[in-house]
Amino acid sequence: MSHFDEMTALLYLEGQLDADHAEGVRTHAAGCAECRGLLRALQTESVWLRESLEADDESVPARLVQAPEHGGAPWGWITALGLSAGGAYTAWSGFIEPWQARASQAGFTQGNLLTMLFFSGAFWKGWDAMRSLIEFLAMATLGLVVMWLLRRRLRRTTALAVVMGALALMVALPSSAGAAELKHGDPNYTLPAGEVIHTDLIVSAGSTRIDGDVEGDLITFSSNVTVNGHIKGDIIAFSQQLRVNGPVDGNVRAFVQSLQLNGKVVRNVMAWAGDVNLDQDAIVNGTLTAGSGHLEVNGKLVGDLLAYSGDVDINGQLGRNARIRSGHLTIGSRAEIAGQTTAELRQPPEVSSSAKMGSPLDWKITKRSSETNYSSARYYVHQILKWGASFVFGLALLFLMPGFFFDAVRACNKTAPAIGFGVLFLFAMPIAAFIVCITVVGLGVGISAMMLWLICIYAAQVLVGAWLGEKILGASAGVGAALGRLALGLAILRALGMLPYLGGWISFVVVIWGIGAVALASYKNMRPQVAAAVAAV
Amino acid sequence: MERRKSIGEMSTAELADLLAQVRAGDSDAWGDLYRQYAPAIFRFCRRALPTREDAEDATTEIFMKVRQKLGMYDSSRPFTAWLYKVASNHCWDLLRRRRIRQDLETGDLETLPLEHPDPSQLEQLQIDHDSKHVRAGLAKLPDRARMALVLRYYSEMSYDEIADTLGVRRAFVGVLLLRARHQLREVLAESGGGLHGAAAGGRP
Repeated sequence: MSHFDEMTALLYLEGQLDADHAEGVRTHAAGCAECRGLLRALQTESVWLRESLEADDESVPARLVQAPEHGGAPWGWITALGLSAGGAYTAWSGFIEPWQARASQAGFTQGNLLTMLFFSGAFWKGWDAMRSLIEFLAMATLGLVVMWLLRRRLRRTTALAVVMGALALMVALPSSAGAAELKHGDPNYTLPAGEVIHTDLIVSAGSTRIDGDVEGDLITFSSNVTVNGHIKGDIIAFSQQLRVNGPVDGNVRAFVQSLQLNGKVVRNVMAWAGDVNLDQDAIVNGTLTAGSGHLEVNGKLVGDLLAYSGDVDINGQLGRNARIRSGHLTIGSRAEIAGQTTAELRQPPEVSSSAKMGSPLDWKITKRSSETNYSSARYYVHQILKWGASFVFGLALLFLMPGFFFDAVRACNKTAPAIGFGVLFLFAMPIAAFIVCITVVGLGVGISAMMLWLICIYAAQVLVGAWLGEKILGASAGVGAALGRLALGLAILRALGMLPYLGGWISFVVVIWGIGAVALASYKNMRPQVAAAVAAV
Repeated sequence: MERRKSIGEMSTAELADLLAQVRAGDSDAWGDLYRQYAPAIFRFCRRALPTREDAEDATTEIFMKVRQKLGMYDSSRPFTAWLYKVASNHCWDLLRRRRIRQDLETGDLETLPLEHPDPSQLEQLQIDHDSKHVRAGLAKLPDRARMALVLRYYSEMSYDEIADTLGVRRAFVGVLLLRARHQLREVLAESGGGLHGAAAGGRP
């Protein structure tokens, strides 16, 4: 027999040759040093491979040490239901409602309870300016549902790209104005009088001055913005100062230090600002929603006023109701308020006897509950009790749903996705739950989803606390170690939350982060359910 | 010759009792069963799949399947063998689904002609690389090659079982294993540097 090949040698060593063939190999090897060498080398390689594969140099993840929880299933379903409701809302607002509106225009009017209650009611109108944001969130939740459904068919990144692309398309579709015009100031930007921009105008400049007309929206990021021209769409401004002198056919949405309105706004005004001033000549046909340090209404407001301000000064005309939460309220002599005025104040209001009020001012004094008294021992006892409560909650979570707990803590590592999902869920979940309450799915599911959402908000600090503890103390396995980490992490978060000014923001970020981690972990927990379902088909 | 990774210290009677409780829907028993076997299945997945995250996910999914399919388990056969069978089928399904998209990247390697190794250089390769290197090298192999080595040298599966799991003819299993060894030598030689001879050695 000539030298045998490597294949034969391997099959011989593995006992896979028939008896005759094996005997031939054995006989040849006995007299051939070269082939014996090959056999020995392969045999050593087999041993080396086995030893290398058996070497146990990696720890088993803590979450796998715990038995998987089956309580995750309803959670996953409720979340999925909430997300689907977001999609249903999109269908409602995108298709059914416009269709109803057209039917109504054609004379087929019908009192629709839902529309009356939530889309025409005073409360809703107050938030009308927020509608596009809500729609966007609903779209985003719909996108998530699609991604979840497609994830078995496509690779995750592909699914993400497809869905995000589709989402961008869907969000972009309603604004049929087409491509926007982008302007960068050098350092300032001026649109001269007589010039017309036929699309949306997006400006980032040191100072922006719009004397010409814009047929789409004006979106600006500038330190000073003055609008003298006619804006046929909305104004969305992120700036230090915004002065609107010209007419605006859409909404004004301002995130500014100071907003001065002198012209006419056909729809609503929403302002988050240090100072908001509706000048004597200003007319707002819709609603004014303001979160501001100081609010002055000297002009005419046809719709409702919803104000959360340090000081409110009304000296103009209000066509409908005013709901005010403020430190101080002054109603001047030129004020005319047609509807009901409700105010929650910290000081008694000053109301001029010459002011014309549709109905008596309904006001009450509220105490500032969030004022922190750092010198009081009670404050610290209270903090310790809060820490204890969150620890007990964490304890319960850890014992009831250990798999989920560890998953969620682990998900905190993915900071960016967790915060992204957190923002989405913080806003989308209550909207979805609210819609579930009033649509076909039923009140029970909606309320459960809402309760769950509140629990998630509370659980957020626990999860981030556990994560923080793990970062500090290391990730040793076992429940005892997990409790120690939890206690330390929660204590640190509580201490950070006590910081003046920053504390509130830190707590807010922690909530977003934690709720995002819950979302990621539930997404992960839903996956095996799908795998099992697929296998069962 | 079949030798499975030994798992825990549970006797056959204890295991049968535990399985009966799990079948009866006792969730504590399920927890015990999970805690007993999950680490071993994770270790198997860690070797069969390219990343730790994949292994963690797969372990959870495998146990979901186990719970679902426990009724199909034939108690006359060793439970560990059945468990590894479920695990390897699951991992291979997972890899195969991905491989459909990755075939172009790895398909060529399987048609490379195999050259005989030089025994001394092969021994040197083994001396130069510890278990960590081997495991890292294994992760770089095409899925089928890695799976074949893990099923054979970690799970100690028979050629028949490997053929069944990977969906190939039994006669092809030896070829698969030999190619996988060559690919691993190649990967290790490249990572170690200067050891190419071991993989493409000088024996006529």
